[in-house]
Amino acid sequence: MAPLNPYTYIQCPCSDSASLGRPSDATSPTSAEADDEDNTFDPRAPRANFSLYPLEYLLYCEDCHQIRCPRCIAEEIATYFCPSCLFEVPSSNLKSEGNRCTRSCFQCPICIGPLSVTSIETPPSDPNLLAPDRAATQHSTYSLICSYCNWSSTEIGIQFDKPNSIHAQLAKIRNGGASRLTAKERKERRKELSHRGGEAAVAAAAAAAAASETSGGQDMDLETQFANLKLFYNSQLADPNAGDNGFSSLGDLGFSSPSSLSRIMNLYTGGKLHDPRAKSKLGAMREAITADEGLLEPDLDESSLISQLHRSDFLDTASSTQVCSQPPNLGEPHLHGAARFNSSLRPAPYLLRTKRSKRCPVCRHIISKPEAKVQTTRFRIRLVAGSYIPSISIRRLNLPGSNGPGAPAILGDLLEPLKPVHFLLTFKNPIFESLKVTLGAPAKTPGRFPSKVTVLCPQFDIDANTDVWDEALKDNDRESSGRSRRRAGTESQFQVEVGKIWERGRNWVSIVVEVVPASLKLEQGQDLLKEDEDVLEIPMFVRIEWEVENGGDDATTGSGRDKDQKEKRELAYWCVLGLGRIKQG
Amino acid sequence: MSRRPPRGEYIETDTGNKVARKATLVGTQNIMLGGKTVIQPEVMIRGDLIRSIQSSSSSSSGGTPNNTAVAIGRYCFLSRASCLRPPGRLYKGAFTYMPLRMGDHVFVGPSSVIQAASIGNHVHIGANVVVGEFAIIKDYVRVLDETIVPPNMVIPSFSIVAGQPARVIGEVPEGGHEAFELRELYKTVGNNPQPALS
Repeated sequence: MAPLNPYTYIQCPCSDSASLGRPSDATSPTSAEADDEDNTFDPRAPRANFSLYPLEYLLYCEDCHQIRCPRCIAEEIATYFCPSCLFEVPSSNLKSEGNRCTRSCFQCPICIGPLSVTSIETPPSDPNLLAPDRAATQHSTYSLICSYCNWSSTEIGIQFDKPNSIHAQLAKIRNGGASRLTAKERKERRKELSHRGGEAAVAAAAAAAAASETSGGQDMDLETQFANLKLFYNSQLADPNAGDNGFSSLGDLGFSSPSSLSRIMNLYTGGKLHDPRAKSKLGAMREAITADEGLLEPDLDESSLISQLHRSDFLDTASSTQVCSQPPNLGEPHLHGAARFNSSLRPAPYLLRTKRSKRCPVCRHIISKPEAKVQTTRFRIRLVAGSYIPSISIRRLNLPGSNGPGAPAILGDLLEPLKPVHFLLTFKNPIFESLKVTLGAPAKTPGRFPSKVTVLCPQFDIDANTDVWDEALKDNDRESSGRSRRRAGTESQFQVEVGKIWERGRNWVSIVVEVVPASLKLEQGQDLLKEDEDVLEIPMFVRIEWEVENGGDDATTGSGRDKDQKEKRELAYWCVLGLGRIKQG
Repeated sequence: MSRRPPRGEYIETDTGNKVARKATLVGTQNIMLGGKTVIQPEVMIRGDLIRSIQSSSSSSSGGTPNNTAVAIGRYCFLSRASCLRPPGRLYKGAFTYMPLRMGDHVFVGPSSVIQAASIGNHVHIGANVVVGEFAIIKDYVRVLDETIVPPNMVIPSFSIVAGQPARVIGEVPEGGHEAFELRELYKTVGNNPQPALS
């Protein structure tokens, strides 16, 4: 089992704390310090998973004076960019081109590694992979090659004439090398058709179209079918003859017309402007009957696919993750008989990535804002919780008497059941005011195996953080000033004393928590140990108080406000300390 | 990491580099260290794999060819038995190596092999990682243990990367930027290391 590194997760107050605690608790733990004991936050509650975050993931709203977690912030996309070529994609392109990179950035359909354009003549590409019918004659063709798994686009019969603008070239090639209509060409072709066939002879045109498509060796692919269907239904909706109270009424706005009357009535009754019309419309609409209108007869004969499956092995079929990483609607001609062979997979253009700024959902202030440029890593605004609330680090304390001398306790060691262990919690104050910290922890951890927890010093002050430069100047005599501020004298004389700070430094304080891990022995009739039930997690309620200069800021969460321009602030939250695994058996 | 080596295990240079005596540096004249870099024992840096074909831009700028094979920034940490190896490829019909550039505050985990073209600032590479040839890793990237970054892959900033082949599995949170700082770690190694802060 992997050793468990101690961790501290902090509960974001955005989650409903009342429902996370023990059932039938109405008061929230943040407000009710008094009945703390029976209102403990249970880190093992199924919902607790969604509200616990490491400190790094939390942000802090300076206006609400509250922690904000990734779940309770509003995100705004600042920039779209391709993660491979790192080019910014304007949002207007996004609407027309979709959310994938339209340059030459592709991922291998087999292993998602990056594909690179390689000239087929070069030695690295295996000559066996070349399609024998085409490549021999052509002089300079290019293929996409994955440098991780050696997949080549020639395996699916795709080669390129130019080494650049691969995306545009790929859009025209279907797997196997057959050409494929792009959206633009499809539109043009349609225009051509509508010019050729008059409105009177729709059927004839459709027949001609079908004939031309089959003669061109072009089966109707998924996109063409969709485009045809869409056009057909649009024309049906707009067709004035289809219904007697449709959009046609907009043309003649006669007051006597019953349709316009119903339309006006709809305006006043509100909301359902479209529904009745659509309903009456539906009855009048017909379905597609020709290929031009998007009708595709299903080809139910799958014997060729079955025989292909017989011939191939498991590795020739695509896994669901491979299929999922494919861009939609690009692969197969149509849905009928869509098999999941590797040969039907296509190089997937990289999905775009974003830079996002984050807002507080309550006061709408921006709490994190990156620079818009892709290449810069600076942030204009970055209010992280780590610079407002103390960080808690956990260290196993090895007392000479309790654990036996000699063997130092290594973090991640299994905890002996029913044997008291001491942990050192170090609180580091990031703000430039001194903090007053009050800790609360249940005497027994929640869950089936309650461990006993004693916080030896539940109330202490941490000195203010100082400038980095002060620290640097003090660095030389750190040994004398920082380390010697222990309560007890030398290391060997350390005694765990109740109510005493273990050690304190410039802006940090260490305290001791004594834990008696529970025995994991299962009694008769008890269920087996669930996953991670052997992890010793203690919930801890942290309340910090500090004073700030009152800078005209009226929003206050502090209980009282001092007269002399000092404002008391207070922040309280639950956190979970994961200390280690308890030894089993 | 905070192992205390016996006295004299490291050579400490004027610019604060701490190079283990047991590290294997080949072609030292082609290895540039920015300063305050820790090179642990059994690390290998292949400075001998220099560019054999000068690119047109660099050869025109001056008579002396730029022979830097590996350039490392400040506060980098190369853990035990890691290997830095400049990437090589065919360029205009001939095979040549290209320089490997590494920014500041780059941590390379034990037994990792780096053949990247460039690694940005504040990058953490875990243990037993293979970074393929000509990969580009931007700033603030965390590569988890046992990852294999395929050749030519570009990893954008603030990515957490894992898997074989590597894929981006997450984003570095806003509050996690400070964790990439290696100043404290730098102090914990050397001939007279300071103990790590709690």
